[in-house]
Amino acid sequence: MNGPELKALVSDWRVAALIILIFLSVVAIFPHIDQQGNMASNLQYGLDLQQGSWLQLEFRAEVVGFTSDRPVGEFIANLSEKLDTEVILVDATHLEIRKYYSQADLEPVFTAAGGKITTYQQGVSKATAEDVKRILENKINTLGTKDAKVNTLTGMNNIARYIRVELAGVDMKQAQDIMGKQGKFEIRVQTAGNESEHVLFGDAITSVQNPSQEPAGSDRWGVGFTLSEAGAAAFRNGAIKYGATTDPEKHNLVMLLDNNTVYSAPLSQDLAGKLQAENIRQLYASTGSGKAGTTQATNLEIHLRAGALPVDVSIAGSGGVSAPLGERYKTMALLAGIFALITVGLVIYFRYREPSIVLPMVLINASEIVILLGIISLIKFQLDLPTIAGLIAVVGTGIDQLVVITDEILHEGKVPSPNLYLKRLSRALGIIVVAAATVVIAMLPLALMDLSTLKGFAIITILGVLVGVLVTRPAYGKIIMQILSK
Amino acid sequence: MGMGLIKYDIEKYSPQQLVIIPLVLLVISIVLLAFTTINTGMPLTPGIDFSGGTAVTVITSDTPAQIKATFTDYPLIDISEGVNNGKFLKFSSMDDAKFRSLTTLITQKYPDAKIDQIGESFGKTLQYQAVIALIFSFIGMAIVIFISFRTFVPAGAVVLSAFADMVMTAATMNIVGIPLSLGTVAALLMLIGYSVDSDILLTNRVLKRQGKLNDKLTGAFKTGIIMTSTTLAATAALFIVSWFGSVQILMEISAVLLIGLVFDILNTWLTNAGILKWYVLKGGGK
Repeated sequence: MNGPELKALVSDWRVAALIILIFLSVVAIFPHIDQQGNMASNLQYGLDLQQGSWLQLEFRAEVVGFTSDRPVGEFIANLSEKLDTEVILVDATHLEIRKYYSQADLEPVFTAAGGKITTYQQGVSKATAEDVKRILENKINTLGTKDAKVNTLTGMNNIARYIRVELAGVDMKQAQDIMGKQGKFEIRVQTAGNESEHVLFGDAITSVQNPSQEPAGSDRWGVGFTLSEAGAAAFRNGAIKYGATTDPEKHNLVMLLDNNTVYSAPLSQDLAGKLQAENIRQLYASTGSGKAGTTQATNLEIHLRAGALPVDVSIAGSGGVSAPLGERYKTMALLAGIFALITVGLVIYFRYREPSIVLPMVLINASEIVILLGIISLIKFQLDLPTIAGLIAVVGTGIDQLVVITDEILHEGKVPSPNLYLKRLSRALGIIVVAAATVVIAMLPLALMDLSTLKGFAIITILGVLVGVLVTRPAYGKIIMQILSK
Repeated sequence: MGMGLIKYDIEKYSPQQLVIIPLVLLVISIVLLAFTTINTGMPLTPGIDFSGGTAVTVITSDTPAQIKATFTDYPLIDISEGVNNGKFLKFSSMDDAKFRSLTTLITQKYPDAKIDQIGESFGKTLQYQAVIALIFSFIGMAIVIFISFRTFVPAGAVVLSAFADMVMTAATMNIVGIPLSLGTVAALLMLIGYSVDSDILLTNRVLKRQGKLNDKLTGAFKTGIIMTSTTLAATAALFIVSWFGSVQILMEISAVLLIGLVFDILNTWLTNAGILKWYVLKGGGK
């Protein structure tokens, strides 16, 4: 191919698009040598290619659709008492029950309370799931674990059944310890200066409410929480004994998590007065107004729970990979990719025996992998083993379609006129589009499902097909025409 | 040009002769799967992804007997060996406390292990989703095929070939002992997508091109067999590397794809080609 021909080829929009995409992909992948002198890139690896652990937790709670003729508040209070757990109104027709009951167990309770169950699904509302996510993230952060990911898996009906925690650089034993560890929460009353006396521990707190405004709409934030009978008595005794009821300003109420002060404020005059007379179970800790008040309230809620979750969870699944095994898998994946490209190249060579056809084919094939890796880097997708299987499948099937194009164009061994060429190319692309559509449709269910770890595999396969149909196959059609018409 | 290795003498055989071999295989496969379903409740042996349990991969020179002795207090149900000292251990479901003590033991004894644990109910959910995925995927594929060909017999032939691929692959998995896992379900889904591309090429060439039927079939075979061979080559590469490297999930995915692609050759060039030949000889497609 001489200079002008090459120029004409490169300026063809299909070929130009391919070259630009390859260039952008290399920029996105950004292969470089890092400060330690190791090969590095923007590619992110999944947990099976680096040291790390994952835990998938299942909520022991359910979201129930209901109807009832009774006033909703009354109905919920009644249910909550009978079921001995918090019952929360998600929307006008759905309740979240924060304890696990089967539908059969719930039905008689609902009937007795004057209502009916319309739908039942294990899990929690999206809001609660987000709450749990925040608590877990907070817990992991305070323990100094970096690079942790917490994802709630929310279905289309806004009910989350699972939450997945991924901890890079942590082995399974450590991961279990982190997740199982409960902080030590304590309330003390200031006696003088820095001195304080113990009043109660976190086990006296029976429930913690979400941050709220008191009074409603005032932008004055705080968190309500409830003490057990014994806790309320201990709280009253402590407050009276250490002078918090008679001189609140001098005797702050101090809350500590793992011996760090997380909250310190005087009792309100109103509460101080009431405590003189009786045990109070329902308390409210104000945190101030505005954004600062909200943030503090959110944190305080987590602290009050001492890292405990508002809903019980059970471990649905877990796993972990060690650093050496992750490295080994990474090497194997790279080897498999290169090996696949070479064997495919050999098969093609065996068929056409013509380097000027085989070389562009293999290069186009490799360029698809580069573009896909570029997209993966750009969208910060994690490269894991199933995704790599998807990439290798792209090598195998991508070349199929190049074969279809080549054979259609080369039909009867003659190089066609430009007119006939276009007709044949469009016929080849017709075959390719149908084949591509079936692959996309076949992979779609897997790509849409949240549960499965094979999401990556499906997404890469679909992306691979799209990149092929939209960019690399048309470009190949142009390139092969140029080469053949020589 | 040309492979010259395999001669595809479609001229010699009638449609009935072409279809009979895959048909018999299909019937045997269905019977086998039905028989397994009656015996175990499922057409395929579920792996721990679906049945629940713990899978452990370790690279160690310890013998299976030594490993068995190490885990004598735990419900170890299977040890299989790869090459290069790869060992794959399978435990049945156990409670949280037991599992935690197992993790402790493994991290002590084999710090380089890979552990995957799936709870029974989570496994059920995964299994349910996998079945849904397979059904939707197959129906989706059939819809695309029927829309693009718009004639019943050719489209039906493609869908039947894809169905036969899946069933024969599943039956073979049963015989050679590959369990149904997330990885193998993905491979089956991929087969749905990939097995149809040589069928589409075949149907296109036969129905939309001018020329003699047998020439068109032979021409389609020449292109189609290369298509399948390239995919086979890539999957074989993946299989060999993952086998040597003891990467179980890649090994399972590639093994199922290999089996499926071999049946795909059979079903495309006998089942689908046979039905198409019959359809064209009867005067269809004109």
